[in-house]
Amino acid sequence: MSTDTDRFARFRPRWNEFDWQLIRTGAQAPELHMALDEVLTYEVGSGHRKPTLRIWEWASNAVILGRFQSVRNEVDPDGAARHDIAVMRRITGGGAMFIEPQNAITYSIYAPDSLVRGLSFIDSYAFMDEWVIQGLRSLGVEAEYVPINDISSTAGKIGGAAQTRRGGAVLHHVTMAYDMDPAKMLEVLRIGREKLSDKGSVSANKRVAPLRQQTQLPRQVVVDRLVETFADLRGLTGGELTTAELTRAEALAKEKFLSDEWRYLLP
Amino acid sequence: MPLHGEFKQPGGKLVVVDLELRDGYLAEVHVSGDFFLEPPEALDDIVAALTGAPVDASEDDLATRIDEALAPDAMLIGFDARGVGKAVRRAVTDGSPRERL
Repeated sequence: MSTDTDRFARFRPRWNEFDWQLIRTGAQAPELHMALDEVLTYEVGSGHRKPTLRIWEWASNAVILGRFQSVRNEVDPDGAARHDIAVMRRITGGGAMFIEPQNAITYSIYAPDSLVRGLSFIDSYAFMDEWVIQGLRSLGVEAEYVPINDISSTAGKIGGAAQTRRGGAVLHHVTMAYDMDPAKMLEVLRIGREKLSDKGSVSANKRVAPLRQQTQLPRQVVVDRLVETFADLRGLTGGELTTAELTRAEALAKEKFLSDEWRYLLP
Repeated sequence: MPLHGEFKQPGGKLVVVDLELRDGYLAEVHVSGDFFLEPPEALDDIVAALTGAPVDASEDDLATRIDEALAPDAMLIGFDARGVGKAVRRAVTDGSPRERL
């Protein structure tokens, strides 16, 4: 362990105070993923659900905007239409993610906010993803956390995290690039000059180092290894969504996350 | 014509401001970006603090207006009130309508 992670030593045992549940279902629509994050965060906050790791499978293409991003600043509407890409908005801040189902690895962690009590917002990002850094390293990827919310490696950026705290719970979710089509991404996302001003590169695709290229392993193998790592370190029990959770999430997906009012909240 | 300004704090997040000038005051203010903000509704307080500010308000003036408008429990992560002020100044001074790479 590096000294950088040792500052979490007194917080780390908290993980093992919980009976972690795993949810890993078949592919679901982007708007349902948005809704499940909201529903499950409140379920864990209220104590109705145990702390949970959810592995996502995407059913279709999407750009997922951060809560505070403007659609026209981030998305090229013609590019999105041409490539059949839905524009969605999540409940956490952070930057836009370009999702093609087999190219993304996404997960959420829902935990009582006691897990991160006493940690700064910035520290809590690295703390919530220590297990993933360890899992990636076990696959030979020189992964490290770059504050505030980047999972990176010597070869480039792998993914990004976003968090919010609601109703007594912390939601922490991450999308990593397993593979990518840089040309397509640049047709869909607008990457401005100011955003890259401290990145040392003006080429958005050069900043990303997908896991496929770094591991040469099938996507499923990478995901399985990450789940195993979580299970080894924190313990993990197989679980599933309840009918009530799924029903609520389906309603919320339709009423909120597919609505123009929410998607174009910041036009 | 709306004016557009951006500022990214080194190591931090991008703040984007779009606004119009009306009789020497800021109007139709929109603040967006890839920052984190808790609670999310605090964004409305930031926008309200900027709306009606005089066009010649300095970065400091704008930051003070924002800090005074925010509730004590508001958390700005990856940006701060001064950064928003900088983005506003950029929009006002050389904010061409939406320039892109």
